[in-house]
Amino acid sequence: MSCITTNSLSKSYDDIAAVDGINLDVRSGQVFGFLGPNGAGKSTTIKLLTTLIQPTGGSITILGTDAIKHPLKVRNRIGVVLQQPSYEPTLTVEKSLEKYGMMWNVDRKQRRDKVEELIESFDLQEIRKKKNEDLSIGQRRRVQVAREFMHEMELLFLDEPTSGLDPSARRKLLDFLKNKVKTGLTIFYTTHVLTEAEYLCDKIAIINKGKIIAVDSPDELKNRFGNEKTIKIHIAGIQQNLLNLLAGIQDCKIDFNSGTNITIHSNKSELVLMEVLQLLNKNNVIIEDLSAMPTNLEEIFIKAVNDSNASSA
Amino acid sequence: MHPVLRLVNRNITISLNPGFLIWQIIFPLIYIFVAGFAYTSLIDDVPFENTKLDYPTYLATGMIGFNIMNSTLISGIIIWNDRRHGMFEQIMAGPFTRTDYILSNICTIGIVGILSATIIAFVGYPIFFDSIEFSIFTIPILIFASIFGSILFGSIASIISTRLRSSEGFNVIINTVFLFFAFVSTAFYPVSGTPEPLATAFYLNPLTYLVDVIRAGIFGTFSNFIIIEMIVLIVLAIGLFSIATRLLTKLDF
Repeated sequence: MSCITTNSLSKSYDDIAAVDGINLDVRSGQVFGFLGPNGAGKSTTIKLLTTLIQPTGGSITILGTDAIKHPLKVRNRIGVVLQQPSYEPTLTVEKSLEKYGMMWNVDRKQRRDKVEELIESFDLQEIRKKKNEDLSIGQRRRVQVAREFMHEMELLFLDEPTSGLDPSARRKLLDFLKNKVKTGLTIFYTTHVLTEAEYLCDKIAIINKGKIIAVDSPDELKNRFGNEKTIKIHIAGIQQNLLNLLAGIQDCKIDFNSGTNITIHSNKSELVLMEVLQLLNKNNVIIEDLSAMPTNLEEIFIKAVNDSNASSA
Repeated sequence: MHPVLRLVNRNITISLNPGFLIWQIIFPLIYIFVAGFAYTSLIDDVPFENTKLDYPTYLATGMIGFNIMNSTLISGIIIWNDRRHGMFEQIMAGPFTRTDYILSNICTIGIVGILSATIIAFVGYPIFFDSIEFSIFTIPILIFASIFGSILFGSIASIISTRLRSSEGFNVIINTVFLFFAFVSTAFYPVSGTPEPLATAFYLNPLTYLVDVIRAGIFGTFSNFIIIEMIVLIVLAIGLFSIATRLLTKLDF
């Protein structure tokens, strides 16, 4: 079932298109990653989908409801953690969780239980009595994300939720989100940390200059954009004549500066590797280490954005 | 619970901190008991409508209006803090409309205004006890003044908070405007005897109308002029509230 559907969704500011006719189809119960460079239109898209701003064109359907005509109906069923920090400076952590639950009309008993559960899940025990204004940026971010789970929702928008978090808090949050998705929650997730998206997301869209340039599962994106593999070879001792020998190998790009590290980029990595190994063997070069790097999302992201920039230039 | 009431609950929780309560109670008490009695040696009687009041009585009743005005600063502070700390956007992404947000602010300042007027009225009661003239209009007039005074000054604070982004700018403007309101009004001294330009400035200030109406309610000195002042209060409150609502509705993210 579709959770978010947009058709030709657009938003312009003074003739500049921040979001330019995007079509999205996010299925229920999945984590949908939304990636893009700074200023690509990610946050504007989130503001459009969460009904904070009105589009200049197109349509948005969230959980089967027209979000332009019935924004409040949509907002009652979603959760939003925006990119910018939001907090009540004078409230303590537990009071701000409790008050947020009250704002969402969660009954008192349920609120108390939720506060305890979230304080446990988000490691907030030590700061529960601290005021928000006295917290570090990372602690405040944890409280902000935790707070959103004070109420029930079907769809959660997370705009760079891990910014400011340390690696362990980040991993804990991602695992918490994974568990929530198993209970049926759908998550629309933006991040700059591509390893996070790879770890968490079932489907990824890449946006650049307001346009969607790729949408697929992480594996399919790798297949589409990531044919090129990187092979790293570490050899024993400096070989002066090796550069000339390697230059003869076809279908690859080799980085070798007469040192002991050879880096090979190729779309036909297996064939190229065979050739390189034979050549090294023939010249009695001893290999100390060899590694083949699988294509990661970061490379795909950079390639997709570069391709898009090149085609629009 | 209705969304407006939930927001009022939240507004009151975040606003009622010890600093604000001290500001709301201690500050007017110092004026009433220290300035009020200290100036008695300089100021004999103060003429008000067709009666004469001793200075502590005059000042204590003026402090009710002054405190209503001060308490409505809360509205500007809530809006400004919500914008500064990202809560405005967060609330608007939640189960609330802009109308809910605006109404909750009005209810909050109404409640705080009435409470603050009541506190000062109770504290000042022993001072103006002798001069008080209870009539069937006394309480309704005090409630009228609390509500319309709160809306009027709350709207002014809200308008300022929607126009300014920096904390320095907000503090400077709000303090300047409210300092003018406080000291160029009949809260501290009567119009009679002041130089003509100052007397005119007094009547360009809505706090003058508010304290005149409060005093008329407490001392039973109704006149046609007080009715005109009440009408001015209503018109100003509605006009400024409309502007504040319009600005809040247009507030962008």
